[in-house]
Amino acid sequence: MDMATRKWNKVVMLLVFVFPAFAFYTAFTLAPAFGGMWFSLTDWNGLNPVYHIVGLSNYAEAMGDRFFLKSLWFTAKFVLYMLVLQNVLAILLAVLVEALGRSKVWFRTIFFMPNMLSLIIGGFMWMFIFTRVFPYIAEKTGWMLLDQSWIGDPRYSFYAILALSLWGGVGYLMIIYIAALQGVPQHLKEAAKIDGAGAFAVFRNVTLPMIYPALTIGIFLTLNGSFKVFDAVYSLTGGGPGRSTQVIAINIFEEAFSFSNRYGYASAKAMILFGIVVIITIIQLAVMKRREVQA
Amino acid sequence: MSMFNEQINRAVRTQTNHSQVRMKSRIGSWLAFIFLLATAAITLLPIYMALLNSVKTQGEMLTNILALPTSLELGNYADAFRKTNYLRSLWNTIVVVIVGLTGIVLFSSMAGYKLSRTPGKLSGLLFGLFVMSTLIPFHSIMITLVRISKELKLQGSAVGLGMLYIGLGVAVAIFLYHGFVKSVPRELDEAAVIDGCGEFRLFYMIIMPLLLPISATIVILNTLWMWNDFLLPLLILTDYRSYTLLLSTNMLFGEYNNDWSAILASLVLAMLPVILLYLALQNYILHGIAEGAIKA
Repeated sequence: MDMATRKWNKVVMLLVFVFPAFAFYTAFTLAPAFGGMWFSLTDWNGLNPVYHIVGLSNYAEAMGDRFFLKSLWFTAKFVLYMLVLQNVLAILLAVLVEALGRSKVWFRTIFFMPNMLSLIIGGFMWMFIFTRVFPYIAEKTGWMLLDQSWIGDPRYSFYAILALSLWGGVGYLMIIYIAALQGVPQHLKEAAKIDGAGAFAVFRNVTLPMIYPALTIGIFLTLNGSFKVFDAVYSLTGGGPGRSTQVIAINIFEEAFSFSNRYGYASAKAMILFGIVVIITIIQLAVMKRREVQA
Repeated sequence: MSMFNEQINRAVRTQTNHSQVRMKSRIGSWLAFIFLLATAAITLLPIYMALLNSVKTQGEMLTNILALPTSLELGNYADAFRKTNYLRSLWNTIVVVIVGLTGIVLFSSMAGYKLSRTPGKLSGLLFGLFVMSTLIPFHSIMITLVRISKELKLQGSAVGLGMLYIGLGVAVAIFLYHGFVKSVPRELDEAAVIDGCGEFRLFYMIIMPLLLPISATIVILNTLWMWNDFLLPLLILTDYRSYTLLLSTNMLFGEYNNDWSAILASLVLAMLPVILLYLALQNYILHGIAEGAIKA
């Protein structure tokens, strides 16, 4: 066998091995992605086979769409809260659980359990807590703080959605942080303690820098996940009352599938979401790279 | 004399300092433990309340939501079982996951292995094409994806949904396999080829078993994802006979809005398979989660 045939054989084998995955990938990821870009430039309504190219007018309309902008703002607020609370809580739980003895396993099992469940199921269960259990407790104990319209009033339902999302998400990050903590060499902590550092100082100056890579992952996962939040809002408020708790994903979903069937317009909104995710990821990776080098 | 006193004083002072520190750290760890207990209680609260009230009659639930049930009202479960068409929904969910997993594991391991072993531009380009898409949010492709699955007659079928998951899941899996294959010694490939082993036999008989650790991680991550995914089934499974557990539960919730006893029973039924699986396999699951997140 000469060199040329050998090389040719290698290429053929590569293609044969990659083909099945590539076929499915092209049909159900690549094609819809490019299709979305194309349809965002049209007035396609999903039913009518005839559609027209309308240029960037869908994008222009989205930028002036009051409800879309409101959903962007609502999502941004949600992401910010999640970013801080989810990571702080997960690190706190990871540190405290790791410090335990035999009961460690129990706590780990419990804290991760909600992550096994869909937030649709979790949302319905929390709905029961918010609309039945809390009012009941408030009535019996006079603890009126609990007696709010958790689902019906957008001021409170924001926190209800946040609580549900934290409930369903903290355990996952906790597992990642625990794995990172286990990688911190014990002798470094001992050395710092002998030098007279308190528990907090040890955490701040030894542990935290050592789990920096995990923090990158945690922040990345939170950002990515919470920008696309859908289930938690769908199951608790459905975006309501009215459209007051709509997040981007719900807004796109309704534009395409329930209110108007304007596929082209909804596609433009979806592309804006894509753009936001890409920009944030790039910024985040750049910032994190620089900090890791410094540390 | 005064020197001696001074020394004793100092000794006593350090003693108290030490026990103060020890005391403080003991109080600290008790506070930490109480905090963990409270957080655990909040975490379990919705699941506990759902279980508790799913065996009460609606009337009993209204009079005392926190008390233990006076008698077991299993009628709620019979109701929920029937209304969600439980066995069919469970079966549909299993079909989706099995179709998806088979495709993802089989196709991604092949592709990830070959892409990792073949140097050159074409290989790099293909790999880049797969990795690129991991940034695309699902919502950006769902509208056209629904259209495509309608054209391909995949709508309304659990098998069809499983096939969509293959297309959506291979990219991340290929990325994980690609990284893992680097730790598998190349000499194995060469030795097998010299022994006259064909490419496919080499892959399935020798390489595939060595990929088991990463395959386990991929199986765990993808099972969780497909089992709990809601939006895609909502869009694709247009026929109620193909409803998954989640869709049936969602439908029941919509139809019996205020009948909480039946709803809670259906939620418990929907959770049951996952919780049992979790308790049985939690070490593997937690390990897989940590692995997957660190590598991806």
